[in-house]
Order: sequence, then structure tokens, then C-alpha cells
Amino acid sequence: MVRSVLRKAAGWVLMIVVATNATFFLASWFLDPRSNFRELRPVRSEAQIDQALAPYGLDPRVPVVHRWWDWLTSVVLHFDWGKSPTGVPVNGEVGYRALVSAELVLVATILSVVVGVALGVYTAARQYGFADRISQAVSIAVLNVPTSVAALAVVFVAIWLNQHAGLRFLYVAGENSPDVTGTLPVIGDRLLHLILPTLTLTLMGYVGYHLTQRSLLLDTLDADFVRTARATGLTCGQAIRRHALRAALIPTAASVAFGIPAIFTGAVITETVFGWNGMGRYFIQTIAKNDVHGAVATAAFAAALTAIGAILADIATVFLDPRVRVS
Amino acid sequence: MTLATPAPVPAATGAPAPVLSVRDLRISFPSEAGPVEAVRGVGFDLLPGRTLCIVGESGSGKSATATGIMGLLPPSADVGGQVLLEGRNLIGLDDRELSRVRGRSIGMVFQDPLSALTPIFSVGRQLSDALRVHQDLTRRAAWEQAVELLDLVGIPDPRGRAAAFPHEFSGGMRQRVVIALAIANRPSVLVADEPTTALDVTVQAQILDVLRRAQRETGAGLVLITHDLGVVAGHADDVAVMYAGRFVEHAGVEELFRRPTMPYTARLLAAVPTVDGGERRPLVPIGGEPPSLVGLPAGCPFASRCAVALDACRADEPGLREVGGHGRVACLRAGEIADGTLDPAGGAAPADDRVPAARAAAGEVVLRVEDLVKTFPVTKGAVLKRRIGTLHAVNGVGFELRAGETLGLVGESGSGKTTTLMEILRMRRPEGGRIEIAGTDVATLAPGARARALRQDVQIVMQDPLGALDPRMPVSQLLAEPLRAAGRDRASIRARVRELLALVGLDDTAGARFPAALSGGQRQRVGIARALATEPRLLALDEPLSALDVSVQAGVINLLARLKSELGLAYLVVAHDLAVIRYVCDRIAVMYLGHIVETGETEAIFADPRHPYTRALLSAVPVPDPARERARERIVLEGEQPGAARLPDGCVFADRCPLYRRADDTVRQRCRTRRPEPALVPGRPGHQYACHAV
Repeated sequence: MVRSVLRKAAGWVLMIVVATNATFFLASWFLDPRSNFRELRPVRSEAQIDQALAPYGLDPRVPVVHRWWDWLTSVVLHFDWGKSPTGVPVNGEVGYRALVSAELVLVATILSVVVGVALGVYTAARQYGFADRISQAVSIAVLNVPTSVAALAVVFVAIWLNQHAGLRFLYVAGENSPDVTGTLPVIGDRLLHLILPTLTLTLMGYVGYHLTQRSLLLDTLDADFVRTARATGLTCGQAIRRHALRAALIPTAASVAFGIPAIFTGAVITETVFGWNGMGRYFIQTIAKNDVHGAVATAAFAAALTAIGAILADIATVFLDPRVRVS
Repeated sequence: MTLATPAPVPAATGAPAPVLSVRDLRISFPSEAGPVEAVRGVGFDLLPGRTLCIVGESGSGKSATATGIMGLLPPSADVGGQVLLEGRNLIGLDDRELSRVRGRSIGMVFQDPLSALTPIFSVGRQLSDALRVHQDLTRRAAWEQAVELLDLVGIPDPRGRAAAFPHEFSGGMRQRVVIALAIANRPSVLVADEPTTALDVTVQAQILDVLRRAQRETGAGLVLITHDLGVVAGHADDVAVMYAGRFVEHAGVEELFRRPTMPYTARLLAAVPTVDGGERRPLVPIGGEPPSLVGLPAGCPFASRCAVALDACRADEPGLREVGGHGRVACLRAGEIADGTLDPAGGAAPADDRVPAARAAAGEVVLRVEDLVKTFPVTKGAVLKRRIGTLHAVNGVGFELRAGETLGLVGESGSGKTTTLMEILRMRRPEGGRIEIAGTDVATLAPGARARALRQDVQIVMQDPLGALDPRMPVSQLLAEPLRAAGRDRASIRARVRELLALVGLDDTAGARFPAALSGGQRQRVGIARALATEPRLLALDEPLSALDVSVQAGVINLLARLKSELGLAYLVVAHDLAVIRYVCDRIAVMYLGHIVETGETEAIFADPRHPYTRALLSAVPVPDPARERARERIVLEGEQPGAARLPDGCVFADRCPLYRRADDTVRQRCRTRRPEPALVPGRPGHQYACHAV
């Protein structure tokens, strides 16, 4: 088990290295940091611009292979991922934003999986029943609502609630309030700010798990072995939970693990609506501002998350399906 | 709890009370065409330690009866009547109450052992779970009991194998585990729904023995559901014959087989091919098809197929009535038939589709196979596949087939029969050996007109006609397709399609219908007609009858015989059902692990099998006659056919061979070290067997 995970991890590390370096070259060719300076007044000459970029390793007069080598050595030796065209260190930005994203993503992922799978199991056992039809209709409706619309709807509802309850506990913008001090109040304040974006992400995320888990479980519900389990004296519900669900969870576990990197860097709209500075927005900003090093660091971050997700998926599969352990 | 109707009063003191009483069980399923009345008033009593066999064709409602007794029907099913288990009515109990009964008082064995066990739990875990559902046991104690149960059902090395997963067991071994699950809590009633249908005949004999042992061990009453009248003859105390959702005859096994009294039972017995007894008797098929259970018309549902039906039969459905000295029969004319004054077959057998008495003289050689070899690589690894072994699927197989002759390849699954067939149909240079079709060596065949012509000479009939026919094409299109591929013009295609329909005994209106609208027997006739379209000389039949019901099988067997003599075809038949093989084939070749171990004239081999494997195979087939079935001595092979990945140097059968065990050391030495060469039986040309010990 440990050996096979280590072997898989080594393969993924290689994959991350290749992907990150390829991204560096692509970003260097397509992103032009000089354009950030051309709009500035007073107008600067090309030479002046290049001069300004040189300290950050972005001078276009230096051959791209040299720039790559400098970047690579600083990453490998000092774990320094470079600076943006305006001189902001990438490490600090990514570190801070990854934490912000993690806050958002962790709770939202857990909630979407729990809600989605539970709903899938509940409705699959009552196929075409009242609860199944209603939840199916709701889920399909939600599936078709764009994130921006859903997020704004959540904001409106929150404002309405705040006004009518006469409270101000649902924060519609920002990660925290600037005037709060002390450890506990700060944590409480951040949690309150977390409610609405988490709600939005959960709403967007649970639908997929509900619909796929329902159909996966329906496939195994009619399996002969579930009938055998019932014949040994399990009630229908017990047979589903102990025998059918475990087999039907394997694909879901894999999709959760692989879904984590996607929502880490893909929650752009939710972050924007609620004014959170997470990885999603950062990714868009780096590309818009021709920040080569920032874009590459984001890509490396996403690749690492994919690797972690894949290994988690393997571990989950082994946990759920003991047959894998045998071979 | 109060019952709507009083529970049956136990008979006079001394007689044991029934453990299971079913009263007027009715089950219907909703469908688009209206409610399907799958079970229409079934009732019986089951005494402890006794076996009731329920026989019937597919769709007769026997499986619905079994699942109805277990309370495992889908929630959409509408169930009425009573199922009294130890005096308590199970119908109407909710899932929670039923779950306390299931597994503890009533256990069930299912048909398909490959899918009946949860793939992600070890068999020991599944068994100990089943024990702990009803008993307060520690994990360790339950595991110990699970190991004992595995030992009881004959799993070798039960302690080691308990931790193995279902996919590590063969089908027969898995069915043993399913039986262990069913008897884990010593239920008083066992329900077995076609427990051996998915298994090979030699394994079937083992499993039936295990089932009998399990029944003896627990003293349970057994409801055994099957379509195999041989199994019934060997295992039943009482037999109930089911037709269109009702019992039509319910009698003791001796009485039923001595004089089947319901015309359906009598005709069913006459339509079953058998392996034993002297000369083979002609099969008399029951015309027509079982009725649909949606909106059943008034009257006896069998009347339309019955040769002795009266007008009164079509007016009212007869109930089960007591017939003196026999049992209970649902037929107006049961009295006359029981007296012997009326022949239930109506005297004459149908004139068409009769087996021609004389065998046509064998013509020229259509197919010659010499020393055919086919191997498959055994690989390991997901990305970089390493070859870790070789599976010898077919190893040095050779035979000859002449026009007007039928050769049957017989053997258990995995013996290489189908691989041989497919190698011939592939029409490419084989891996080893030679294949010659109509005088042409296929290795020399270049793609082109000659190859296409030869392709038309060899056609195949598949096992499952529903899967083999495109459901989106009407029959006439299906039959025209091979002709269009052969480049015939439109007018001749239309004429040929009509001719083909007539040839296989279908009327013209069938041409416009889709396969789904045909019955099983009609579909297989279409499959045969399609194969015949290009006027082939060799027809390969891959399990042509195994998807068909007994009453329909006989008709197709007779059709094949007629076509062969009319068209001078050569048949190469692959089948696992030896009784069917006996009726279809002139010669047979018995295969084991890719080798032909015995070959010869069908009747010669059935009368005097020489190779120990052939003997075991023949003796494993149950005979539909209780007296002979119970008296005869059977050779039950131990173990199962091993994989063909690592063949021994000597005889491939030595590991399971009963003769090897009794042989002296010099013979054993030869069996271990040298592959036996085929030896001729003196005085019988063509009868060869490969064994050192005979």
C-alpha cells in the first residue's frame, strides 16, 4: 500500500515538473509584461521598460532559456517563485490566497459531498417517489443556474434577511471586517463572512454529486448481491447502505478527489461576487496583468493539487474496495 | 396477530406439521399493457425435510413464486393470498418484520452465483455478517462458524479461503458459498431458484449434492425451482408443474413420472431429450407458445396447445382436482388420462418436422481440421503489459466433417469448444495446424472474390437469437442483408426471403415483424433462416438451443434435422447439453482443456463411453425418470476444470481422473509424463479415445 502510493507520488512529481516548466515557456511566449508599462504616463521608452523589468527576471532582451534557468534555480534552491512585473513577490501572494481559498473550498466541498451523496442515496431508494421527483426537479433547476446569478440571489436573500431580522450577521462582501481585534473575535468574524460564499459554492457543487450518486446507486440497487444481502436478513435500507452504497461510492470518491483542484482555482465568480481574494481571482489577474511568474506558480499549485487529489482518490478506492489490496 | 382465514389445522397427531404453507398466492406486476398476472393462485404445504420441486418454462411464474415467498418482490408488485411460515402469515408484513424472518427461518439460494455475492467483501465476512444479523455473536465466534459452514459446503481449505473475495472463486465454489449463506442460521425452509442453471453439468451434480447435504444437516423443507426434469426426478419428493402462473399438476414424484396426467406435463416429458436408454425416441414438440400473462382469456390457458382439448376447456379454467391415486390435476379430462383411456398427446404426433428415419449417406468432406492450435497470452501490468504465461485454449484438435453430417463438440465451459468454432469461422491461417473448408486451405486464401465465396459457404447460428438479431430491422430485412452482401438483385432477394421463411416453418406475415415481436422459438428460426440465406454448405451452431424452453426446443431440433437432410448441410454444433447433442449429432468429439479426449459415433459413445471424462460427463446428466435416476450409479468428478494456463506434461485430465486414482504406479507414471495418443476402439471405426488407463 505505502509502496504503491510512493511509486504513484513519484510519477506525479515528475508530471508536475514537466507541466510547470512547459507552462513557463508558454507564459513567457504569450504574456508580454511590457504592455503593463506602455499605458503609463509619462510615456517610457522600450529600453526604460526593459530596464524596469530586468530586476524581476522578466527582461525580454534576455533569451528565454536564460530567464528560465534563473527562474528554475531560484525555485529549486530558494523555493522563490519570482516576482510580478510590479515587483510583488509571488510566494507571498500565493501563500495568502491559497489559505483564503482553502477556507472557502474545504467547508464547501465537504458540505456538497455530504449533502449530494445523502440526497442521492435517499432518492435512489425512493426512485420515482415524491421526494425523488421534487429533489430531482430542484437539482436540475439549480444545475441550470449560472454561478453569478445564484451568488447574486444569495446576496439579495441575505440582505433581505438582514433587513427584516434587524441583524447584521450575514456579510455579503469581504473576508473579514477591518475593525475586529483579538484572536477569537477575528475567527468568529471570518466564519460569519464565510457563510454566504460557502452556501453558494455548496449549492453549485452538491447538484453533481446528487445526480451522479443517485444514478450510480440505482445501477447497483437491482444487483443480485443486494437481493442476497436482503435474503440473509438485512432490511432494504441496511442492504443498500452496507452492500450497494459502498460499491457505488468508489466513482464518487474519485470524482471528489479530482474535483478539489478545479474548485480551488475555479471559484472565480463566487470570489468576485463576495469580494474574496482567492486563487481563482489571482489566476485571472496574473494572466490579465501579464504576470508570468504568478501564472506559472498558479499552474504549479493546481498541478500539485491534482496530484494530491489523484493520490487521495487511490487511497479512497483502496479503502472502499478491499479487493485492490489483494493484488 | 389474527389471520383472515384460519391457519391450516395440523393433520392427525403424529404427522409433522408443514413448515411452510402457501394459500392462494397471487402476484401481479404493473406493465404498460396492463397488469401481468405472474402468479394466479398457487398453494401448497411443505413438510420439514421434504423437497417440493416447482417445474415450468420461463414466464410460468416459478421465480415470482419464490421471490414472493421470500418477500423480495419489487414494491410495485401486487401480492395477495397467504404465505404461512410456521403458522405466521408473511404477506403484509413490512420490510423490518420480514427481515427478522429472512435468513433465520427461511433461506434462499439464487440462480447466478457470479453476481449473487457482494464483490467487495470477503466470503468469510459475508457469512459472519449473515450470522450476526440474527445471532448475538462476537466477531471471532462468527468467523469460526463461517469457516465451519464453508467446510460443510465443501470448500477446500475453508480457513484459508474464508478471507478470499468472491472473484477468486469459480462459479461452482461461489454457489457453495451462496448455499452456506442460505443455511447459516439453520432455517426451517430453503428456497432454491434454479440453483444449477448457470453451472456446468459436472458441477451441477456436485452442487445438488451439497444442497441435499445442507438440507439433511438443517432438516429444512426445500422448495427447488427448476426447468430441468432430470433434476426433478433425482431430488423431488413432490412435484408441482407450473403453467401460466398456476399449478396445473401437483403430485408425488413417482406418480407424476409414471403417468403424467395433465396433458401439458405429458407433452413436456415427451419433448425432453434424454441421454440414457436404448435407441433415441423421436421428440414430439408441443406446438405453439406459452400464453402471455396480460389479459389471459377465459378457459384453460393450455387449451390452444392441447391435443385433447374439449369445448368446455375453452369456456372455463379448471381448478386443481384430486385424482385418485395420483395427486391433484387441473384438467377436465384428468380422469380419462389417469385411467389410461386417453392419450394426452392426442394419438398422432405432428406430421411436419419429423426426424427422417434413415441417415443420409455422408457426402464429400466439407471441413477438415488438423492439429489446430490456439493460444492466448496471459498478461500482467496496467501500462506495460508483461507476458507471464500462455493459455492453451485449443491444443492439437483435429476432425473431419462431411456433407449431411453433424459433429458435436461437447465439454464444460473453458474446454475450448467455442474457440475452435471461432478459429474456423475466422478463415485465416491458424496459429498452428490446418483448416480446410470445402477443399480450400484457409491459410492460402487471399482476400478477394474467392474468400467472399467461401465466406458464404460457412455460416453461424448464435446462442441468443435476441442478441444476434438487430432489433431495429424487420425479419425480411434481416434475411435480405446477407443476400445483398452477396450482390443479389432485388427480385431474387424477395423471392429468396419468402422461400427462407417457408423453409424454417414461418409464415409470410413474420417477414414484416421485428425480432422483439417474435417468440424465442420463432426468433431462433429466423436466426437459422438468416444463416441459410447464402446457401452455405457448413453451418456452425453455437449453443443453438440453450436459450430456448424445453417445449420449443424439440421443434427446433426437428427443424435442424429436416434441413440437414433436405439441403445436405454439414453442422458443427457446440453445446454443453449432452441430451440435446444426442438428438442433433451423428458424431461427437468430447473436449477437455483444449484437447479432444474421445470421438466417435454419437450412439456408440452414449452406449459405451470409454474415456473416464466422457463417462463422468454422461453420468452427471440427470435422467428424467425417478426410478432410474435414483438407482443408477453416478461418477461425480471432484474439483473443477483447471485453467488452461499451465498444462501438465502428461494427461490433462489426470488431476480429476477416477481411473488415475485406482491405477497402479506404472500407469500413473505414464499418465503423469506422456500425453495419451488417440487409440481406436476395436471393431468400431471412428471411435477413438485418448487414455492410458482404460
